[in-house]
Amino acid sequence: MTAACREACCSVAPRFTVAELFERGYRRNRAEPLALEGETVADAEGNSARFSVALDGDRIAELRFRASSCTTLVAYSEALAELLAGFDATMATQYAPQDLIAALPGVHPLKQSRAVLAVAALRAALLKIPSNEPILEGGVAR
Amino acid sequence: MKVAYIFATSRHTVSYVLGKMILPQLEENRHGVDVAGMFFFEDNNYVLVKGNPTGERLVKVAKARGMLLMGCDQCCYEREIADKLFDGVPIGCFPDLYKALSGNMPDQVITL
Repeated sequence: MTAACREACCSVAPRFTVAELFERGYRRNRAEPLALEGETVADAEGNSARFSVALDGDRIAELRFRASSCTTLVAYSEALAELLAGFDATMATQYAPQDLIAALPGVHPLKQSRAVLAVAALRAALLKIPSNEPILEGGVAR
Repeated sequence: MKVAYIFATSRHTVSYVLGKMILPQLEENRHGVDVAGMFFFEDNNYVLVKGNPTGERLVKVAKARGMLLMGCDQCCYEREIADKLFDGVPIGCFPDLYKALSGNMPDQVITL
């Protein structure tokens, strides 16, 4: 019997790299927004992002986003969506751009400012959460 | 005349055409045209990684002439080299390239 390959080519565990986050984020970026959708946030370079959120009680059940087609921005946005699922929504507002930059090594220094935009867009969506938000069936806006 | 080079194919494009033709000509001031910038796709981006001997010569020429060097961002991330490039060499996609060249527009874009 041959042991299963544990290298990146065959491993089932998703890798937390910019390239792979971009691949996953590329799909999430096209998904329908969730029930609570924040305002679109833009930067001076013409990039923009908008997050939406579904809640499970006080926790984030799922995050989705719609970001302009910048690889780094999509990767940072996907990183937020993966890292903060299950987080207490109030605690998630404390997540800072520096946390995101530290969580995702390998980003070109001149592109790390995209983390500021991604976090700002996330916070804009979290601001839409009313107190005592009921759990939404499936989390998708109807 | 002013040109920009896009290194899109990955055969002898960098090691031969750039390394043994264009770069020596630029170093000797006999290339025949001004080069506004160079953009690199796919494996060609390895020339921009710190320590690459051709890249070291290229960066030196680029700094002396105000020539843009830019790597394709997705290509660099896919190869996990985006944070290993020579200091000051940016990565980007088409909007970044056009913006960077807008202040020094080439007359011709040569795809190699």
